[in-house]
Amino acid sequence: MIHEYEVVIIGGGLAGLRAALQVFDAGVDVAVISKVNPLRSHSVAAQGGMNASLGNVRGPEGSVDTWKNHAYDTVKGSDYLADQDAVEIMCREAPLSVIELEHLGTVWSRLENGKIAQRPFGGAGFPRTCYAADRTGHNALHTLYEQVNHRKIPIYEEFFVTSLIRNQERCTGCTALEFLKGEIHGFIAKAVLMATGGFGRIFNKSTNALINTGDGQALALRAGVPLKDMEFVQFHPTTLYGTNILITEGARGEGGMLLNKRGERFMEKYAPGSLDLAPRDVVARSIEEEIAQKRGFEGDYVQLDLRHIGAERIKERLPGIRQISMDFAGIDPVNDPIPVQPGQHYSMGGIDVDINGQTILPGLYAAGECACISVHGANRLGGNSILETVVFGRLVADKIIEDINDLATPPKKQVEKGIKTSKNHLEKIIQSKGLENQFNIKNMLNKTMSTKFGIFRKEDGMLKGLGDIHKMQEIVSTVSIKNKELELNHALIRLLELQGMLHVAESVAISAIERRESRGSHKRTDFPERNDENFLKHTLVKGEAGNMVVSYSPVQLGMFEPEERVY
Amino acid sequence: MKLKVYRYQEGMEYPEYDSFEVEREPGLTVLGALLQIQEQLDDSLSFRYSCRGAVCGTCAMLINKVPALACRTQIEPLLKGDLQVSLFPYPGAEETVPWDAKKEVLIEPLPHMAVIKDLMVDMDKFFEYYHFIQPVFKPSDINPEKERLMDPQDVKKLEEYTSCILCAACFGACPVEGENPEYLGPAALAKLYRFHIDPREEDTSRLKIADIPPGWWACDSIGNCLRVCPKKVPPIKAINLAREELNEKK
Repeated sequence: MIHEYEVVIIGGGLAGLRAALQVFDAGVDVAVISKVNPLRSHSVAAQGGMNASLGNVRGPEGSVDTWKNHAYDTVKGSDYLADQDAVEIMCREAPLSVIELEHLGTVWSRLENGKIAQRPFGGAGFPRTCYAADRTGHNALHTLYEQVNHRKIPIYEEFFVTSLIRNQERCTGCTALEFLKGEIHGFIAKAVLMATGGFGRIFNKSTNALINTGDGQALALRAGVPLKDMEFVQFHPTTLYGTNILITEGARGEGGMLLNKRGERFMEKYAPGSLDLAPRDVVARSIEEEIAQKRGFEGDYVQLDLRHIGAERIKERLPGIRQISMDFAGIDPVNDPIPVQPGQHYSMGGIDVDINGQTILPGLYAAGECACISVHGANRLGGNSILETVVFGRLVADKIIEDINDLATPPKKQVEKGIKTSKNHLEKIIQSKGLENQFNIKNMLNKTMSTKFGIFRKEDGMLKGLGDIHKMQEIVSTVSIKNKELELNHALIRLLELQGMLHVAESVAISAIERRESRGSHKRTDFPERNDENFLKHTLVKGEAGNMVVSYSPVQLGMFEPEERVY
Repeated sequence: MKLKVYRYQEGMEYPEYDSFEVEREPGLTVLGALLQIQEQLDDSLSFRYSCRGAVCGTCAMLINKVPALACRTQIEPLLKGDLQVSLFPYPGAEETVPWDAKKEVLIEPLPHMAVIKDLMVDMDKFFEYYHFIQPVFKPSDINPEKERLMDPQDVKKLEEYTSCILCAACFGACPVEGENPEYLGPAALAKLYRFHIDPREEDTSRLKIADIPPGWWACDSIGNCLRVCPKKVPPIKAINLAREELNEKK
């Protein structure tokens, strides 16, 4: 079955849905493909908020926030690896984007004067983070879903994209497996927007939804498109001990304190200026250091104490956190501190795009966490991720609308070929009679990534890890699945995800090994200092699995000169 | 630990139940156990999942005859009988298979929707009712440049309903839904009420959308919906307030 649209968007989270609205409202024919119902996208789990210099809450000494302050905090937080032109756009567009969501129906938490409330977040000089209790992503995603449905934009849900189509050096569509029926569909489009989110699930102990397997990044690699800055993986300081469900930075924004086994507020040592609200890389490393120095609790965690905030405020501003603590750790933060430990949280790197969201393959665009337009550099500040999705969901859509004006509809031939190739690939998997269990490989991968490419990294460990990834790439081809049906075959989908994850993992590994410095989330114990002379540049990686090539591209400076980060 | 799991595939005359022994882990959830089965015992088992943190609403299913999120429900307390929720009898809660609640956990698909395979149900009917109530914001002013103001007290009232994750647990637990498949159900009505009380809304006739027999008037105020809701959304409160308001106008 072949479908034809002017624009196809892969992914139904905040970036994908925001883009879909923009494209549709410009009178362009658009469809969304998603492997889950869009409401189940990982965007729904964003808790703490969305940064914008609305200036609704005054800063130190009554000062009023500006987009430039926001840009400075973002660039400094990024350890100067963010592209400052992209940061400027994001921060300038931020207030409009929050207000735009408000106009689409999002319910934001409010101040007594009725304006949108703002709370302090890590690495920010102002209370800048607009929020909806601790359900900001949920409120925003449901709003966009309502608007997309109202416009009757077609959504192909529970479709797993299996390949991108190329025709005369343009991306002209994709193929996708309709999960329920086991059929491969072809999609012809003048432009394809990738909005598939992050790849957190290549790691152990991740805050991410189980579906965050980096499918978009893997598709891009296979289509010959480079990934950028893949070594920069964010570890969130506070994930619930046991399940690693996110405990929002908003909890510290509301006054929560981190304590070690001795009851000490240890952030006083590591970031005397910002304490518990230093950027995530700093806080995550501090916790790891406390644990390494045997000042953590047994099982490797510390405590996040909210008790002094008071029951009323906890219930009003952090109701979700309270519920999560009760459901998954059996404690009520009103009475007991929450056991927390760092866990993988966000992918700063992703599909290499220019300032317009365009990849090197004409016709293929990317936005949101799967992309690296580079607003986060080496470390993302809390509150900037869902901001990025709505800002660039809209702006990249505008670029697509502009670009496709004069293009003719691509021919069917390549997509027909693509369908055949995808079918053969699936048949081969189904027929395989190997003995290896794919889930053992996935567990191995998770462990390798967390131990060799976690918060602290070192050359020899990483080389061993890369070797292990290569081995896993080999044995994955000997995997067989017992379920031999094409319809509704979860084992098949999970194997397709795993094949991509191994590819993406290799890109992380190679990028990390080659960056011989410490910057933001990438901490090398063998190269503990930042090295601007050699590494103030983006890493690019492309190629087939087992045969990847690294190159570099310059960072866009302009507004702020790199300086040492002190918090 | 034992799980008794509902199995069904197109072409089968009756569903079957498979028993699986899963490995005990501290804090093991039903979702964790199902993943264990899929990964180690039977990779053909079908169920949906996503966030595993009780925020996305994907994995609602019938656990020991109670609709619940699989990711949020731990097995150990289930076996101890700690998680018992007493519900008014409803289709789906009737005895389907012999099962010893002290030794095993019974896992079945959500009632009131057609089963696609195993624990996966066809959500189309649920979303059809959701669409029916026109869940989209209809503002009074279009595109002003500034945020509209909202009283924080109004926001508080709204939040009772905006926190719905559309998991359909309430829909699956509703005795009325079982008898009257036309009934729009608790989630859709609560959502409609959410838009009705949004002070930014222009459309004051929203309540009328469900002023029909299978709408506001079909509810029997039984309350299973509230008891199973993972987000404590109170549909009955919305339904009663809507009825009062409609009655006042009549």
